Amino acid sequence: MAVKILSVDDETDLELLLTQFFRRKIRNGEYEFFFAHNGLEALQVLLKHPDISIILSDINMPEMDGLTLLAKINEMRIPSLKCIMVSAYGDMDNIRHAMNGGAFDFATKPIDLDDLQLTIDKAVEQIEYIKSAQKEHAQLVDIQADLSVAREIQQAILPRAFDVKMHDAGEVDIFASMLAAKDVGGDFYDFFAIDDRRLGFTIADVSGKGVPAAIFMAVSRTLIKATGLQGLPAEECMAKVNDILCGESVGSMFVTVFYGIYDVTTGAVSFTNAGHNPPYILRADGTVEKLSCSCNLVLGAVEGMPFTGESLRLNAGDALVMYTDGVTEAENRNHDQFGESRLEAELAELKGADSKQIVSGINAKVKEFINGAPQSDDITQLVIRRK
Amino acid sequence: MEVKIERENAQVIVHLIGRLDTPASLEIAPQMNELTEAAGGTIVLDCSQLEYISSSGLRIFLSLRKAAGEKGGKVIVRSITNDIRNVFMMTGFLNLFEIQ
Repeated sequence: MAVKILSVDDETDLELLLTQFFRRKIRNGEYEFFFAHNGLEALQVLLKHPDISIILSDINMPEMDGLTLLAKINEMRIPSLKCIMVSAYGDMDNIRHAMNGGAFDFATKPIDLDDLQLTIDKAVEQIEYIKSAQKEHAQLVDIQADLSVAREIQQAILPRAFDVKMHDAGEVDIFASMLAAKDVGGDFYDFFAIDDRRLGFTIADVSGKGVPAAIFMAVSRTLIKATGLQGLPAEECMAKVNDILCGESVGSMFVTVFYGIYDVTTGAVSFTNAGHNPPYILRADGTVEKLSCSCNLVLGAVEGMPFTGESLRLNAGDALVMYTDGVTEAENRNHDQFGESRLEAELAELKGADSKQIVSGINAKVKEFINGAPQSDDITQLVIRRK
Repeated sequence: MEVKIERENAQVIVHLIGRLDTPASLEIAPQMNELTEAAGGTIVLDCSQLEYISSSGLRIFLSLRKAAGEKGGKVIVRSITNDIRNVFMMTGFLNLFEIQ
């Protein structure tokens, strides 16, 4: 594409000189010249031809002089538009003024056209560099838009309604939240009625970030739900999901999962912890118990792994508090982490709270702790409380 | 994060120094990928100066173990600190590697 050059001069002899000197380049389609005779006219030509990239402007002109034109062009903030100012030989005042005002370069009259050629070449080189940077920037903006779509998808597939419709569901008080980090992470939670008595639930964290993590998260969540709905014991469900995920994992991606089955009639919970942070039980009397380490492997790492199942019981007023490491590893500006002991202390303070109050209570404490530091990981909680 | 690699007899010893968080994992990934070529032999991951490991860091360990499994080699994890040991315990990685 031709480099479009706008020459602005109230005397028309420059017009002739340029078209003569650059006639080959004009004929070959390398340069295309436009002409204006003062600053105002130049702005009108620019409006009509926004793809002009170089302006060659005289300084002393009627209506609007070159320095005012330069100032107007600067106001437009087009980094790929370069002004070369032309002035009388030795007119250092105006030249200094123009250079300080953001001119790309200057030429003095009588114009040395060979030298002008070099200046134009130099400007073209810079303009191309700026344009390629702008293009890359635009591509980055596109990618970021894709990422925000991925984040919306990630949020959209998580259950938002917390009223469980099953027999005796009046005993279940469940609430969850995921505060997504800026980069798409891979946290999720889920819960579903397996039958009229049993509620399957899960909290999980996919390794890594970005679109691959979001896709792996969607696959994991669907597999766990589909397998869980078959009513298998927790450890068998995890073993099955693990074997399928191992076939899907690219780049050694894995997911830590806590999967449990809650019996709404008895308060019994059978569960398998596949490499996830051990949850807490906040008892009705305010004591906080951390579940012991199950030491099962994460899912998606090694095929054919056995998983162990465990059990616990929730009595009236007890809550099972599950979280991802986004909670405990939340950092303030000094890089101090929220940590498990702080989480335990805050949970104890929430004695008697319902599931929603626990989730929002901890979220508020984490927010207060990080005190405006950027959030680097998803912050996710799932709480099941027996009424 | 710094990675120092030495070759000693038939062993490749990898010193992991600093915090292996998500950005650091991306940074050292090319170096670690090259290591999979040595996965037919014994790779020792020295963690005495490893301060922190994120899930992305664990993925690197897992990738090496997979490569070693395919090529008949082995990966040994040496001198892990208590913090890292806790992460390995929670995620089940403790049973995946020979720990020295």
